[in-house]
Amino acid sequence: MNLTTILGLVVLGVLAYGVSIYNFFVQAKVQIQASIQEIGNQLKRQAELIPNLETSAKAYLTHEKDILKLLADARKLSDQGKDASSKLSELLPKLQIVVESNPQLKGADVIQNLMSELRDTSDKVMYSRRSLIDLTADYNAKLAVFPANLVAQAFGFKPEAGLKTPTQGAHLEVSTSDIITPKVKL
Amino acid sequence: MQNIYESSVNSRRKSNYIVAGFSVFALVASYFLASALSYYLFGFYDGLFAIGLALLITGLSSFGSYYYSDKIIVGISGARRADEHEFKLFYQVIDNLSLGSNIHRPALYVIDDTAMNAFAAGRDPDHSLVCSTTGLLANLNRSELEAVFAHELTHIKNYDTRLMSLAAVMVGSITLMADWLLRIGLRSRRGKDSGAGIITLVIGILAALLAPVIGQLLQLAISRSREYMADVGSVKITRQPSSLISALTIIDHDLERLEAANKSTAHLYFTNPFHQDSSFKAEFNRPGLDWFAGLFNTHPPISDRIKALSQMS
Repeated sequence: MNLTTILGLVVLGVLAYGVSIYNFFVQAKVQIQASIQEIGNQLKRQAELIPNLETSAKAYLTHEKDILKLLADARKLSDQGKDASSKLSELLPKLQIVVESNPQLKGADVIQNLMSELRDTSDKVMYSRRSLIDLTADYNAKLAVFPANLVAQAFGFKPEAGLKTPTQGAHLEVSTSDIITPKVKL
Repeated sequence: MQNIYESSVNSRRKSNYIVAGFSVFALVASYFLASALSYYLFGFYDGLFAIGLALLITGLSSFGSYYYSDKIIVGISGARRADEHEFKLFYQVIDNLSLGSNIHRPALYVIDDTAMNAFAAGRDPDHSLVCSTTGLLANLNRSELEAVFAHELTHIKNYDTRLMSLAAVMVGSITLMADWLLRIGLRSRRGKDSGAGIITLVIGILAALLAPVIGQLLQLAISRSREYMADVGSVKITRQPSSLISALTIIDHDLERLEAANKSTAHLYFTNPFHQDSSFKAEFNRPGLDWFAGLFNTHPPISDRIKALSQMS
């Protein structure tokens, strides 16, 4: 084991490491693209499912105007390609109350199915987002740590944007009515 | 309070320490055992042949059980394929979790038993399965089921079957060499007269008696550390420590035995099927015996798991 063999082995080792890091970056980029497409896939599933659920539940919920309105709003959002999960999470507790107080509805499989499927579509959108967040975090972290960042700079890998959380929208605004302390008459 | 990334790094680091310690132990024990063995067999200290032979025998005999681990465990446990219509919630939960953890959906199996437990098996994420008892599916709500199956999916993602199989091969080959040494070395005339021979005999016997036990204890320690890692991984997928805590609390109170489990498969399950990790089983809760008995446990105590989860935000 003279000096040249040792040096040769070290160079081989460094090259092997470089190759494995490069492959990781390339693979991660592909997976991030796939997970973005998956989010679109789940939103499309939601968009196709909500109208079906709406029509099947209308027969049972003829008197529940606010629930039907929320369902219609959710359908409008998903038709526009946006995520209807916030409307659905508003809807589910109301539906739960109606079902609990109405024994006829409680027994109806259709309503139970409706609630389960609505929750499931929101969950699926959330999980597909989570996958994207985790993949982007791993990729960006590896970009920044030493010595992998040397490989990244050598081949020109840039940080991925990941999930663009909305910087404006209803969930960030607090209305005056939320701030007022409620008065209780004892 | 730790955030999920800190918990992830810490639990992985602890597990790596134990695996490193196990590797060092395996090397040292193999070295001493093989040296002593070759001294008695051939008259000189060259362990390589003995180590090689032991690894070959153990490796070959274990390879089948590693490669076909999913089919074997299904056969032993009497599990049946879960029907998609009968177990719609099971399929929905696993689908969502696979989406969230970026792996292909594993095959789903069910054991007909009212005891609450689940396990995951398979040599890599593409050849994996998750099995649940019908009792678990009936008694936990959706969030709790998500937490339990996220734990199982983390086992799959961490290649825990592969790690435990490797550990089993190492302990198996050490046990094999220890067995040979005790049979051959004690009968050999070679060493009993010289000084070096006596020392080899003494060290060899000590190693042969202690190494298998220490190896098994280390293997169990690895198993427990992977359970903690899987709990952290579950929270990483679901971001809801409360649902896993709730599931563990419910399972802790259920002391029913799982008939399908036996000692060789106990380590695979979500909680110990003989309830050695339970907070309520009286015979395991004697203060002086706790730490020592705990060393032989495949799973950490459920109360410790809940405490670790409560530390996560």
